[in-house]
Amino acid sequence: MSLLFYMGAFLIVIGALCDFFGALGLLRFPNFYVRLHAATVGIIGGAAVPLFGVALLALGADFLPHRYAIAGASFVTGIVVLIVSPAGSHALAYAAHKAGLVEWEPEVDHLEGVEGDG
Amino acid sequence: MSLESQFMLLMKFVIPIYLLAFVLYAVRAFKGPTIADIILAVDCLSFDVAAFMAILAVYFRSVYLVSGAMVLALWGYLLDIYVAKHIAEGEVGA
Repeated sequence: MSLLFYMGAFLIVIGALCDFFGALGLLRFPNFYVRLHAATVGIIGGAAVPLFGVALLALGADFLPHRYAIAGASFVTGIVVLIVSPAGSHALAYAAHKAGLVEWEPEVDHLEGVEGDG
Repeated sequence: MSLESQFMLLMKFVIPIYLLAFVLYAVRAFKGPTIADIILAVDCLSFDVAAFMAILAVYFRSVYLVSGAMVLALWGYLLDIYVAKHIAEGEVGA
């Protein structure tokens, strides 16, 4: 019982550190495409991992009144974030490349001749 | 030392780190040069507020905060898709 509690606390600490590093990278990196990497670290490491951690911690904590409801909702929200966040980031990157919003100097552009309403 | 006091000691270290990260995301959302940077920062902020809300549900011993976390995660995805469609094609059609 307390083993689940300590595993959840460890995941929450990892999530807090990843969230801070993702925010620092989003503030400090020079380009939109590089900032996308930092944002993915901040979302997956800083939102999905603490949600699974809260699920484990709420299963192990015996002082919570509604611990099974909190654990189930946190687990479902973690899976939703894990599915939905890469799709949103990919759509945003595709739109920014197609509209030409970002100034950059590419060595090789694999999407150069791509046209279509994908 | 019971589990409850250990959890309160953990929250003394975790909550300030989360609040500092929220401040940094908000700074990028206010000074972003392009529209995509602003949307990316607001997206990260919404997902992380959802996770922080799940942590606060354990901290305040309340069930009702977790349902708000799920709705907030889905809203961040909706914002991404709408703005990407609007940037790429100039319209948000059906």
